Amino acid sequence: MSLPLRLALRDLRGGLAGLRLLAICLFLGVLALAGVGSLSAAIVASLAERGQEILGGDVQLTVAQREATEPELAAFSREGRISHITRMRAMAARLDGAESVLVELKGVDEAWPLYGSFRATPAARPRGLQVAVAPELAERLGVKVGERIRIGGAELEIAGLIAEEPDRVGQGFTLGSTALVDRSGLAATGLVQPGSLYSSAYRLKLPAGADPKAVAARLKKRFGASGWQVQDRTDGAPGTRRFIERLGQFLTLVGLTALIVAGIGVGNGVASYLDGKRGGIATLKLLGATSRTLFLSYLYQIGLVAAAATLAGLAAGALVPAAVVALAGDSLPVPPRLALYWPPLLASAAYGLLIAAVFALVPIARARTVPAATLFRGDLEPSRRPGWAVVPIVIVAAAAIAGLAIGTAREPAFAAGFIGSALGLVLILTLLGGLIRWIASRLPRPEHPVFRIALANLHRPGAQTGRLVVALGLGLTLFTTLAVIESNLAGQIRTTIPAKAPSFFMLDIPVEEIGRFRELARRSAPQGDLVTIPSLRGSVVAIGDRRVADMADIPPEAWFLRGDRGLTYSATLPEGSRIVEGRWWPADYSGSPLVSLDVEAARAVGLKVGDSLTVSILGREIEARIASLRAIDWDTMGFNFVIVFAPGTLESAPHSFMATISMPEAEERPFARAIANAFPSVSAIRVKEVVETVSGMLSQLVVAVRAAASVAILAGIAVLVGALAASRRARTYDSVILKMLGATRGRILAAQAAEFAALALVVSLVALALGSAAGWWVVVRIFELDWAPDWGTVAATLALGATVTLVLGLLGSLPALAARPARALRAL
Amino acid sequence: MTGSYVIDASDVTLALGSGAGRVEILRGVGLQVASGESVALLGPSGSGKSSLMAVLSGLERATSGSIGIAGADFASLGEDDLARARQGRIGIVLQAFHLLPTMTALENVAVPLELAGREGAFELARAELEAVGLGHRLTHYPAQLSGGEQQRVAIARATAPRPALLFADEPTGNLDATTGTAILDLLFERRRDTGATLLVITHDPALAARCGRVLEMQDGRIVRDVASS
Repeated sequence: MSLPLRLALRDLRGGLAGLRLLAICLFLGVLALAGVGSLSAAIVASLAERGQEILGGDVQLTVAQREATEPELAAFSREGRISHITRMRAMAARLDGAESVLVELKGVDEAWPLYGSFRATPAARPRGLQVAVAPELAERLGVKVGERIRIGGAELEIAGLIAEEPDRVGQGFTLGSTALVDRSGLAATGLVQPGSLYSSAYRLKLPAGADPKAVAARLKKRFGASGWQVQDRTDGAPGTRRFIERLGQFLTLVGLTALIVAGIGVGNGVASYLDGKRGGIATLKLLGATSRTLFLSYLYQIGLVAAAATLAGLAAGALVPAAVVALAGDSLPVPPRLALYWPPLLASAAYGLLIAAVFALVPIARARTVPAATLFRGDLEPSRRPGWAVVPIVIVAAAAIAGLAIGTAREPAFAAGFIGSALGLVLILTLLGGLIRWIASRLPRPEHPVFRIALANLHRPGAQTGRLVVALGLGLTLFTTLAVIESNLAGQIRTTIPAKAPSFFMLDIPVEEIGRFRELARRSAPQGDLVTIPSLRGSVVAIGDRRVADMADIPPEAWFLRGDRGLTYSATLPEGSRIVEGRWWPADYSGSPLVSLDVEAARAVGLKVGDSLTVSILGREIEARIASLRAIDWDTMGFNFVIVFAPGTLESAPHSFMATISMPEAEERPFARAIANAFPSVSAIRVKEVVETVSGMLSQLVVAVRAAASVAILAGIAVLVGALAASRRARTYDSVILKMLGATRGRILAAQAAEFAALALVVSLVALALGSAAGWWVVVRIFELDWAPDWGTVAATLALGATVTLVLGLLGSLPALAARPARALRAL
Repeated sequence: MTGSYVIDASDVTLALGSGAGRVEILRGVGLQVASGESVALLGPSGSGKSSLMAVLSGLERATSGSIGIAGADFASLGEDDLARARQGRIGIVLQAFHLLPTMTALENVAVPLELAGREGAFELARAELEAVGLGHRLTHYPAQLSGGEQQRVAIARATAPRPALLFADEPTGNLDATTGTAILDLLFERRRDTGATLLVITHDPALAARCGRVLEMQDGRIVRDVASS
C-alpha cells in the first residue's frame, strides 16, 4: 500500500464527522439524478416490454373516418390474425336525459384483445346491446351494473365495470372514459356514419418469428399513401414514451442544478475539513512529507468518502421506482418495470464523482501549500493559491459534466441552453455575493455593537456570504422560476382559457341536421354565441410533385404533414386569420380546387402561393392550388384550420359539422341536456371539464418537478448548515466576548437574526428577479403565452424559502449562543 | 453579607461534569474583599484560580454558596441577569486579550459602554484609549496591533465603564518581559485613577508584590491569605 494511502486510512480513523457535509451533499445530488433516471428508464422499459399489449397487437394500422377496403383487408390478413377496433368520441346519457357525459366509445370484435386480457366486474364481456364502462363513468352518470344508458341511437345495458383494458395506454390522452361495446353494439348506436369522426384500427398478431418492424415497414410502404398510420409493437405508445423521456430529461437537468448546489456544499465541506487539518498538515511537513504525498493522501480520503456517498446515493436512487410503485400503486397508468437500470445509474455516478472533483480539487490543492512554519508563527498566513496544476483538471471535469449532459440529451440544444443558463446564474450569484460583501464592508456602521457584528459577519475574512448566496440563490431561483411558470400556466388554464374559450365544442353534427341544430341552439341558449363549421379529416399526401411518404426527414414545424388533419371549407376568411400572401377567394367561388394554408406551415416546407398540395380524403386524392397564406392567431380558442378549402370542392364529400358555442354558465347544463336528447350522435365537449382534467394533469406534473427541485433546496440547506458549522468558532468567540462585556442572549440572537434576515432578504430578492426573468423567458418565449404569473404564489414560495433560511440560520447559531463564557474562554 | 465589601463570598463550591466524570473545582471558598483593595491570586495550575474568577465575575454559576458582588447577589441570578449585572460593574482583562476582530480599537472599547447604555460611549472610549497611550490607533483593527497594544486596548475596554471591580487573568502571560512590565504599570495606574478594586491572577511573584493582599489557592481552596509585604 502506498504511503499516501496509508496516511489517508490512518487519518480517516479519526472519524468522518468532518466530511459529513461532503457526504450529505453528494448523496442528495446523486440520489436525485439516479432516482429520476431510474424511474423514467423503468417506465420506458415497461412501455417497451408491454409493447404488444399496449399497442394491442404486433402491428397496428389506423385510418380516419373509414374502414379498410376489401383489398386492404385481404392484404392485412395475409400477414397474421386480425382484430378490428373502432374508436370515436360520443355522448353517454342517462335514459332520463338528466346527465350526459363525453366518452371514448370503443367498438371491438371477438378477436380483441389479441394480447393481454380484458377484465370487468362482474366478469362479462359486453355483447349486442350491452356496454362495459369505466367505473368513473358509471359514477358520473349515477348508474349501476344492469341499468341502461343511451349512446347515440342505442339504449345499452351496463354489463360490467372495466377493471383492466390492456390497450388503454396506447390510446394516449383521451378526454372521455372508455365505453366498450362489441361491433353489433357499435352498429346499433348509429354513430359510425360517412363523415363522422371515428378511427378504425386493425391490429395484427403475427406468426411466431415474423419481424414486426419489417411487416410494418412493408405495409406502410404499400398503404401509407391512402392515409394509413402504421405502428409496430416496439413503440406501442410513442406519445407516452416521448413524454416520459422528455420529462425525464428535464428532471435530470433540474437534478443537475441540485448537484451543482450540492457541489458548493462539497467544496465547503472539504475546505473546512482540511482547515481543521492544518496543524496536522504542518506537522507532517515538519516530519518530511512532500506536498505531493499530502495532496494524494487527502485526495484518497476525500475520494473514498465521495465514492461511498455516491454509492449510497445510487442505491437509494435505484430504489425510487420501487418506492413510487409502493406509494402510488394502482393509480399509475404505466407501472414502472422494477429492475436495475445501469445507464442512468452510471451517468449519475459519473455526475457525482465529476462534481466532487470540480469542487474538491481546489481546496485539496490549497491544503498542501500549508507551510510547516504555521506551527511556530501561528495560523496567520493568508490562504495560498492552489497552484495551476489542478486548474486544467477542474476545467476538464466541468466540461465532462456539460458534455455528458448535452451528449445524452434528446434535445441537446435545450440541455446546452439549460446548462449555460445555470452557469450564467452561478456567475451572477458569485458576483452578487462579492458585491454584498463589498457593500456590507462600506455601509455606515450600525450604532448598536451587536448589529455592527451582524453586519461584520457578512464581510469579515472567512465569511461564507459568497457561497451562501450562490447555494441558496440557485435553489431559490430554481424554485421561483418553477413557481412563476406553474402559476402562469395554472392561471391561464383556470382563468384566461375559460374566459376566451367557448362553453362547448360540439362534434359530429350531421350535415343534413345542421339547420335543426342551429335552431335548437338558438332556442335553448338564447344568449349563446354559436359558430358552426364543416369538418373533414384528411392527410396531405404530396406537396408539389413530392410524395410525403417519400420524404426522408419531415421537420418538426411541418407537423401538418404527419397523420391526418382537420380540414374545412369556407367562403369567408375565418375569424382570427389574416392574409399575408395571395388573396382570399370570392365568396361565390366555384372553380378548380383552391386552398389557403397557414403561413408558418407553408414556410416550413417551402410552399408558396401558386404551388400545389394534394390531400387524401377518405381514400380520394384531391390536388389543390395554394391561393393564399394566412397568419393564424392560435390564441382565439376557436376553430383554427391549417388547411382551408375554397367552396365547391368538399361539399359533396361525406362530412359533418363542428360547432362552438359560448353562453353564461347557468345555461350550460340545460343546453347540454337539450342537445343530448335531440342529437344523440353529437358529442358536446364541455370546456370547463377539459380545463379541470388538464389542471389535474398539470398539478401531477408540478409535483414531480417540485420533488426534483426540492433536492436543490435540500442541498442549499446542507450548504447553509455547513457554512454555519464552519463559522461556529468565530460565532462562539463573538458571542462569548459579548457576554463577558455584558450582552444578554436575547441581544446576541437579535444580531444573528439581523444577519440572516439580511442574507435571506437579499437572496430572495435576487431569486425573485432572476427567477421571474427565467420564468418570463419560458412562458413568453417558449410557451408563447401571456405573462400573468400569480405573484401571491411566487411571493409565498419565496417567503417560505427565506423563512427556512432564517430559521435554520438561527437554529445553527444556538450552539454558539449556548456556549458558557467561562468554559469557552478557557478553550479559545 | 455586608455592604462594605465589594466581594463577599462564602462557602462557594463549583463542580463540573456529572456522575463518574464529576470534578470538584472549588471546594468551599470564602472571600471578602473591601472596596479599593488590590488582591493577587496565586496558585499552581489547576488549583481553581481562573474558576474562582469566573464565578466571581459571573461568567460561571457557582454550584453552591453565596456570592455578593458590588451589592448584587450573583448566586441567585440567571445567565442574562449576570450579563446585565456585569455592565458597568465589572471589567475583565484576559491573558489572550480577546478583542473582537471585526471591530476597531475604538469600537472594541466602546462596546461595554454601549451595552450599558452610557451616553457618549465613543467619546469616553476615545478618552480611555488616549489614557492608555493609543490615541493614534483608534481606527486600527486588532490584527493591525501588536500584542502589547492589544492588551492596552483590553485594559481600556475593561476600565472605560469605571467598574467597581477589575479582574485580570494573567494579563502579561502572552507578552515579553518589558512589554509585560509596561502593561502592569498601566493596569495599576488605571486602577488607581478609577478607584476600582483589583483581583489579579498571576504566577509572577513580582506582580503579586505590587498588590496589597496575596491569596494562594490549592485544590480548590484558599490556603493562604496575607497582606503583601
